[in-house]
Parts: sequence; structure tokens; C-alpha cells
Amino acid sequence: MDKRESMWDLYLKKGMSRRSFVKGCVALTSLMGLGMDQVSRVVEAAEKKPLPVVVWIHGHECTGCDESFIRSGAPLASDLVLSQIALEYDHLLSAASGEPFEAHLEETIQKYKGQYILCVEGAACTKDNGVYCMSGGHTFTHTLRHAAENAAAVIAYGTCAVSGGIQAAKPNPTGSSGIAHFAGKTPVVHVPGCPPIPEVMTGVVMHVALFGTVPPLDGEGRPKQFYGNRIHDTCYRRPFFDAGMFAESYDDAGSKAGWCLYKLGCRGPETYNSCGNLRWFQGMSYPIQSGAPCIGCSNAHFWDEGAMSERLPKFAPPIGDVDKIGAGLAAVTAVGVAAHAAASVVQKKKRIADEKKNEGAGE
Amino acid sequence: MKHVVVDPITRIEGHLRVEVQVDEGSGKVTDALSSGTAWRGLELVMKDRDPRDAWAYIQRICGVCTTAHALGSVRAVEDALGITIPKNANYIRNIMAATLTVQDHLVHFYHLHALDWVSPVEALAADPIATANLQNTALNAYKLPFRAPGASVTEAFEHDFPAATPQYFEQIKNKVKAIVESGQLGIFSANWWDHPDYKLLPPEVHLMAIAHYLEMLDKQRELVTPHVIFGGKNPHPHYVVGGMPCAISMDDGNAPINTARLDIVDRAINMGRSLVNNYYLPDLLAVGAAYVKAGRVDGGGMAKERVLGYGAYPIEPAAGTTNGAFFKNLLVRCNGVVEDFGKGLGAAKVYEIDAEDVQDPKVFTEGVEHSWYEYPEKGEQDRNPWDGITAPKYTGPKEGSATEWKALNENGKYSWLKTPKWRGKLCEVGPLARYIIIYTKAKKGMLGDLTWAEQMMMDQIGAVSKVLNLAPEVWLPTMVGRTAARALDCQLAAEINKFFFDKLVANIKSGDTKVASSEKWDPSTWPKECKGVGLYEAPRGALSHYITIKDGKTDNYQCIVPTTWNACPRDDKAGHGAYEMAMMDTAVKIPDKPLEIVKVIRSFDPCMACATHMFNAKGEKINVITTDPYSGTHVEK
Amino acid sequence: MKEEKRKVYYLFSPFLRIFHWIMVLAIVVLFITGLLITKPVTVLGIEPTYTSMSMDWVRNIHFIAAFTFCAAFILRIYGFIVNKGDRLFPRVWEGHFYSETIDVAMHYMLLKPSHAPFLRNPLARMSYAGLYVMVLVEILTGFAMYYMTEPSNIGGVLFGWVNVVLGGEMVTHWVHHIVAWLIILFAIGHVYMVLRADLMEAEGEASSMFSGVKFLEHVPKDANEVEPAKDAK
Repeated sequence: MDKRESMWDLYLKKGMSRRSFVKGCVALTSLMGLGMDQVSRVVEAAEKKPLPVVVWIHGHECTGCDESFIRSGAPLASDLVLSQIALEYDHLLSAASGEPFEAHLEETIQKYKGQYILCVEGAACTKDNGVYCMSGGHTFTHTLRHAAENAAAVIAYGTCAVSGGIQAAKPNPTGSSGIAHFAGKTPVVHVPGCPPIPEVMTGVVMHVALFGTVPPLDGEGRPKQFYGNRIHDTCYRRPFFDAGMFAESYDDAGSKAGWCLYKLGCRGPETYNSCGNLRWFQGMSYPIQSGAPCIGCSNAHFWDEGAMSERLPKFAPPIGDVDKIGAGLAAVTAVGVAAHAAASVVQKKKRIADEKKNEGAGE
Repeated sequence: MKHVVVDPITRIEGHLRVEVQVDEGSGKVTDALSSGTAWRGLELVMKDRDPRDAWAYIQRICGVCTTAHALGSVRAVEDALGITIPKNANYIRNIMAATLTVQDHLVHFYHLHALDWVSPVEALAADPIATANLQNTALNAYKLPFRAPGASVTEAFEHDFPAATPQYFEQIKNKVKAIVESGQLGIFSANWWDHPDYKLLPPEVHLMAIAHYLEMLDKQRELVTPHVIFGGKNPHPHYVVGGMPCAISMDDGNAPINTARLDIVDRAINMGRSLVNNYYLPDLLAVGAAYVKAGRVDGGGMAKERVLGYGAYPIEPAAGTTNGAFFKNLLVRCNGVVEDFGKGLGAAKVYEIDAEDVQDPKVFTEGVEHSWYEYPEKGEQDRNPWDGITAPKYTGPKEGSATEWKALNENGKYSWLKTPKWRGKLCEVGPLARYIIIYTKAKKGMLGDLTWAEQMMMDQIGAVSKVLNLAPEVWLPTMVGRTAARALDCQLAAEINKFFFDKLVANIKSGDTKVASSEKWDPSTWPKECKGVGLYEAPRGALSHYITIKDGKTDNYQCIVPTTWNACPRDDKAGHGAYEMAMMDTAVKIPDKPLEIVKVIRSFDPCMACATHMFNAKGEKINVITTDPYSGTHVEK
Repeated sequence: MKEEKRKVYYLFSPFLRIFHWIMVLAIVVLFITGLLITKPVTVLGIEPTYTSMSMDWVRNIHFIAAFTFCAAFILRIYGFIVNKGDRLFPRVWEGHFYSETIDVAMHYMLLKPSHAPFLRNPLARMSYAGLYVMVLVEILTGFAMYYMTEPSNIGGVLFGWVNVVLGGEMVTHWVHHIVAWLIILFAIGHVYMVLRADLMEAEGEASSMFSGVKFLEHVPKDANEVEPAKDAK
């Protein structure tokens, strides 16, 4: 009963051929953004590693990340959940509820101590001992700390789990934050996005499942293979940016022709995500392709970075944006300078007159 | 008498806890309590944001009914600013809405609700040949042949059709067997699989439904591709105040919308119709008929007493909500309240809801008697959402500590949901409410000529009544009826999708490619202060958004959300909310394994993250009283 | 009028002077191109094949100016090493610095007819130090945006932290933009103060950035910081 199966065991059990197994591994290799020279490592990993146990818990969230996860096209959610991982605890998909479900969580944690992957969706609510987010009669942070400290690795899914997300936007009424500081010494993989791209979510789990390690991470704990580029630098509309061809307003000639959305406030130039390379639904689209400027949803504090339609901080009319303020200040400075100059001239004349007077008095 | 707690309720959105008192002899539930156990405070986050961005923030209330709040929000902002969206934008938004409804209902039935009815363990006893035969029978007996009249035909045959071969079911059975035998049940772990309810259905129904659970898990993603085409992604597609961001051009390969992109939408729409007609409805009726036959016509609760709807799908762009244009222009005129439907059509009373009602501070109010909030004045009862206040006041449970609950206090405060009221009374909302309202209004001759969609709803009700051999007044306000109405709503939405797609194509053909109105984009064109309301029949029921814009910024933002209507805590005058009433209208066989309770709760398709957001952006100082044993009782200012 | 006897002080090395004028040019170019990058001018109706240079050009000019500016710092540093006059710090560690600052400020507020003679007065010293801080912020934020095209390369590693410290790359854009305006405001004040000094004291303030020398009538208070003065010819 305790034997944990590898992916190859499952293929054998399903009566599938070695050939289809290798084909599956090739598909996974490219999905994970690895070169084809890595196929053999993937095959090796898929043969030997037992099915990883996954526990998925929810804090302050909207379940959009779960929904994104089950939208994955490769691997399909059904394949992933029923053949490639053992998803032992998840509020969205698990059959059980209530007390037996909570008992099962504890049993899983004890049985697979240090071996299971913990997926966390949603922010950690910290204010007033976390009473604004209760589940199973406990605070979420209680469950989070317990589950994270005993996990092999933690995957923080979505901007909420990474940096607090929408509930942490000003004024952050519930004291919400990212979950990393509850994980103790357990390594944390940050998978930001609101929500992250489906194949990015499943790809990260697959990497951990196949290689037994967390994927290579950047300085902010994000998998480099999915967050290593700006959307702007990978955007198919980039040529229009370089050519100075911009949509000036929604539905104008530029919008219809698919020109750059920079002037409508697009956050592509500062957003690290796979929207430009993987796109959503396996290359079907991403917001920019559908004419909507990026809102920077994988950035840590994107909810508090000004009006989404503006590239500069803007104040209510009649003050306007930073450029208006800057030009205004420059004008004020120029006028001030001119006034000061005039006063200085007067002062100098007076000084010379005084000096003359003094000289005269001295003679 | 036994006190039973179910926390967490899974296969829903968000954090929900229920507690019931069960009479062990009769199985009767004497008291029931439903508590939303999380509060994110988004109402305070909205203050001072750019109203043009409101949709993006508000959409993050919920990722399951993603798009619903974005749509409510843009409608509210456009109503406030006096923007009428272009025709194409109206059609596209209706496609977005109907697409959400189709996908959301389908996922709810198969992935959130099905495991309350069917079990992989029972499926192991099924005979694959008999299951194949059952599939054939179900397709013949339970196919409801309703279509939008005059809809275009763009597929040669139905590409998505259930397999009815023994080999197929054998394979599924073997997979289930492998999972059960491996001892690692994964998502099937720890459920009450030995509950007698699972014996109500023959093993073949279990196997067929489990097979379709897996099929639909793969297919559901393809149903939402219209969101990806029109809004760039899903969950959380993009919108724009004034229309839609997806410009249409047949002259440019880089255009967000051209023929190739529309074809993807059309494929998803066709697929949605096939999946509902060939999988969802036959499966649902097979299961539902067996339950009704076994006498399970309970779990109605509030549906028998009072249901509420706002009306759905503006056929042409509405020039506002508060001026009444929205209500004059609907494909599904379910705006209204129906009382006492459970007493029969003759006794049922209908109250219309119009533009004045949604603005009248006396019609819609919310109370906090049993919610962890407080109003500034002592003894103050209800407030209109326009001047609603969200000041948390957490009091902890009856038994246990502030951070470790044993039992919540049904006599005190016990939920993060407020209690919304219509003229001081509680209501149920959702697909069931929509069907009850249309049915009652139509039968009483209040609708005049029915739209094709309303006629289809009547036909659907008639067909199901025939299958169940019961009058609509009997089967509709039940747990089965609630689940069935959702399936009918799904079929309706699939047809509405096609209807608006055809309108979109016809309009583009006529030379109109406009999708966004930018005249009032610039805040300098806005009035100094304005207010707006956005209404939408979300998958889970009537949704209303209220916004006050002042000096170009969001001054106050509030929503009354379907799950708040349904899951709200009780009110000492108005009684119990829909969840609590439905639980009290349900018999529990084994108090330790209250499957009937979670089943009736899930028949509402709970969406708790939505429910705990009654918006108020006035930013009052929050008072928090914690009764934490370690930190002692203190008031934080 | 009385014949004035002035002494010549050698202040600025050629390295500093060349750097200064490169900086002037670079700041003007950087500011104009920077504004254009924030709010580009749309070139309508021409497909990228033919105009792929327009926004690209603006950005490339911005980058070239930025790199030239940074490279020119080598001159500044060399001058700093070889020439005392290039090292006129705000001497905040010396007590008299503050009283002198007040003295100069009183004069600038037109409350005193003149201030004590300085090679470089303490207020000016502070404002130049401030300028260097602003320039440093621009360099850090600029490279943080520039190099993050490839976060794992050496530039990304060296400067990527700036985005994290500021809380997000969007904020980096804002800081870069706002500080650019502050530098321009500084420049307006700077040009005025130089011209005014020439008007009021006629000590060769403006020409010193070409010749390297200033002509002072009185012995300046900070004379000990540079090479001994020579008599004017």
C-alpha cells in the first residue's frame, strides 16, 4: 500500500508502450523549457521517482489559481492529478469534507514528512492572530506553518501567496502577506501571476516531480524558465514599439491593427512572465494579443502601482501627471530665478553705492 | 440531539463552515448555522482607485465566477458616467457571460458536486457492457432537444459525444480500480464513501458519471476559450470601461479579433452546446430521476418561500441601469421576487424589481446582527449598501478560542457575511430562482410575448416535469431541483451564446466594427460626483454592484453578491438564510457522516470569497476586539 | 574706479572640465529622449519594416548617451586623483561649514549684501553633492531597467536588486523619471547661480569651467584646499 509508483510504473500498469512513455517524456522536456539534450534525464527521472504526494492549501484567495491549474493543456489536469501526482488534500477537487478531511491532512503530513510538496494558494493573513482567515476551526497561518515546515518544498502559487496580492493592497486591512516567512527552512518556489499561466503552474509541479528538486530559481525565488523574461521583451507587438507605432485609445486604428499598447498603460515593460513566450491556452492569446494592456499581475505590488491606464503616477485633475508637475516646477523655478536675478541686481547696485559712500567717507 | 460541524466544506470556492443540530432519532435538522470564515477586506482596498481600473480589482473577488464581477463593475461605472457601449461590445460581453455560465455550471456539476452523488468505489461494481447500454438509454431518454431558433449551423456533426462502448468503460473502471488499489486515493481520499446515499444509484450510473468527470476535466478548459480570445486570458480576462478591449478588424492579421479568432469562439460555443446536451443533461436527469423516485424531494428551504432575480442579457446595449433602460431590453426578464412558490402557482406572489427598487435605500438593506461587523449606532439594525459600513468586530466562537474553534455562537455573531434583505426579508438567488421567476411570471401572463429564451425555459421545465412526473411547483424548490435548474440554465446559456455570436457576426457584416466608446475615457469629462449601478445574473444568481465616483476616484464601492444572499447568517426578525433553511429542510441519516448536508450546501454552488465582500470604501477606522487567550482581550484602534 | 588686485586660483583639471561638458550634453540628450520614451510620438501609418528605427533610435540614443556619461566618469575620477581642485567636498565634518552655509544662504535670501569669499561656497558644494546622488540614482535605476532584459546575466545580477529594493520595476521607472526632472530643476538653478556669481562677484565662475581658474580679489576661506594662488597678469 505504501509503495509509491513512478510514472513508468503507471505506464506499465496502463499497458502503454515504452515508445509512448518516451514520447510523453519528450513532451514534458519541452514543456519545462529544457533542451532536447535533457530528454534522457527526464526519462530517467520519470522511471525512478515515485509519484509525489501533493498537499494544496488555501489562504486568502479567490480560487482563480486552482481554476488556472485545471486549465492546463499539457499535462492535462486529469493526467496530472490522477496519474502523475497524488493530490491528497485540495479544497477545490478533494471529495472529502470536514473532520475526516482534516484528519487525512494530518495523516498525510505525518506519513510523508519531508517528502510531500505543499502548494499554497492565497495570502497569509497575519493581523489579530490571523482570525480573518479560518479553516477547519484553525487559523490558516496555523495550518500553513505546520504543513510548510514538514514539506519537502513549498510552491507559492499566485501573487497572493508570493507577495500578499489584492488583499495586501493598500490599506491591507487584514495584514496579509506572502507565505514564504511561514515556511521555516523549507525551500519556497514563487510562482506569481493573477493567476499564473496554467502550464506554468503544472510545469513547476512536474519539474519537482520529475527531478526531485525545485527548478532553477532567480533571486526572487521564481523559476527562471518561466519568469526569466519581460513580457515587453518577448511580446509579438514589440516591433511596433520599436517603430513608434502605438494605439492611442481603445478601438482606434492602431488598436485594430494590433499596434503597441504602451501608451494605454501596458505594464509589459516591467513584468516578468511567460505571457509573451508560452501565452495562454497553449499559444492562443494573452491580454496584449486581445488588445488589452498588461496589468503586471505577476509583479509583487502591482495593485498599488498607480492607475493601470497611466505609465506615470497621476494626481486628480487639474494637477495631472509627473511631467506636468515637472514642467510646472521648471516654469516656477525660471520665474523665481528671474525675480531673484532682478533683486540681485538691485542688491548689487545698492552694495556698490554703499561701498562708494564708504570709500568717500574714508577719503 | 447531536451537534455536527463540517469545516471545511470542500469543492466550493472559499472558506465555509456549517454546524447543524441533528435529532438522531428522526434525522431532522433542528438548527443549522452557515459561516463564512474568511474576510479579505477588499471593500477598504477599493477606496480612491481609478474607476476605470475597478473591474480588475473587483474581478479578484472570485476566480471561479471570474468575469462576473468585472462585468458587474464595468456596468456600474458606465451607468455612473453615462456611457452606452457599442453593439459589438454588448454582444461580446453577453458571450463572455454565457460562456462563464456554461463552463461554471458544467465544472460545478462534474467536479464540485458529482462526488456527492456518485462514488468511484461504487463504480468498481459496474459492468462495462451494462454501462455502455445505460449510456445509450440515457442519451435517448434524457436528451432535451432545445435550440435557439434560427441559430446558425457551423458544425457538420456533434464532435463531442460520449463514448458508449464497453471497452471505454472497462478502461475507466480499470483506472479507478488502480487508484483504489494503490491505497493512494488522492482527491478521492477520506470521503464518506460508505454512506447509504451512494447506494441510491446503480453502479453503472456511478461508472458513467466518473467517466464523464474525467472527460469534462479535460474538456472544460476548451469551453472558456472565448474569454481567452476576447479578454486575453482565463481566469480573470480583461475588460475596459466603455466596451471591450478586443478591437475588430478584418483588414489586419494582427487584429485582436478577425475571422480566425471568431472561429475559435464559435468552436467553443458549439462544443458547449454538445457537452451540455450529450453529457450534462442526460447524466443529471439519470441521477435526479433516481433521487426523485426514491422520494428525495427535500432541501428546498427558502426556494419555496422567496426567490430574487435582476434579469439577464441585454439584447441591445442598455443606456444605463438607474434610468431603467437595462430592464426594458432583456432576453431573460427574471427581474423580480416570487414569494410562496412552494404553495403552488395560485398562491405564489410576484413583485417586480425595477430601476427605482435598486436605488431605493429602503428596498435593499443589509444587517449585521449575526455578522462579525458592527454599526456605529447602538441597536442599529439595517443599512442600505449605499451608506453601508464595514467595521469588523470579531467576537470568537461559543466554544474554543479565537483561533481554535469548537462551536460557533448561533445566538451571537458567527459569520463574516452580512445579511442582505429585500424589503426586510431574506431571499434565495441562483439558477433555480431565475427558473421559478420566469415560470411564475409567464404562467401569470406578466411577460406578454415570451422571448425565445424565456420560451425555451418554459419548454425545459415542461420536459423535466415529464421526465420526473412531478409538477414544477413540487420538483423545482428542492435540492434536486436546484441542481437541475443549473443544468437547464447551462443549456440555455449555451444557446444564448450562439444567439449573440450570430448577432455579433451579423453586425460586423453590416460594417460596424466598433467595440469601445472612448468619449468619456478621460476623467476630465466626468462629472464631479456621480453614482451608478451594475446588474448581472451571475451563474450563482443576482449580482449588483454600486459605485460612487467623486473627483475622478472611487469614493464608495459595494456589491451585493449571490452567495451572500444564500449563505448569510440568520436575522432575528427575518429568520434564516437560504443555506440554513435548506439544511433544516434536509434529513440526515448518519449524523457522523452528514453527506446530505454537504450535498444540499453544494447544490447552491457556494462561492464564499464573493460572499464576504459587502463593499464600503468609506474607510472607517476598524475596531477589532480579539478574545485571544494569550494576548488577552483588547481593542485595537 | 579703483584697480582691483586679483589672485588666480587653479581649480579644475581638464579632465573634470571635459567631464562636465559631456555631462551637460548627455543630460540634455538623456532628458529629451527620456521624455520621448515615456510618452512616445506616434509615427502613423508606416509599417515596422520601414520605420523600425524610430522608437528604437530614441532608445538607442538614450542608451548611448547614458553609457557615454558613465564612461566619462573615468575622467572625473582621474581628475579627482591628480588634482586637489577637483575634490571640493561639502566639508560637513568641519564645524565652520555650517556657519558659513548660513552666511551664504543669508546672502542668497538677499538678507546680506555679500557673503564671505569662497572658491566654492558651502551651499554650492552641497548642491553638487546632491547632484551626484541624483546621478547615482539615475545610473542605478537606469541600469536596473536596462540589464533586466536578461536577469541572469552579469548586469542583471549587479543591478537587479534595485527593482526589489524599490518594490517593483514600475517604481524604478517612476524614480528614474522623477529624479530626471529634479536634475533639470537643479540645472536651471545651477546655470542661474553661476551667471549670478559672475554678475555679483565677477570671479570667473562661468569661464572657470573652460579655463579651470577663478580670479578672486579676497583670499577665499577655502584657499587651503587647492594649490597656492598666483597673481593675475
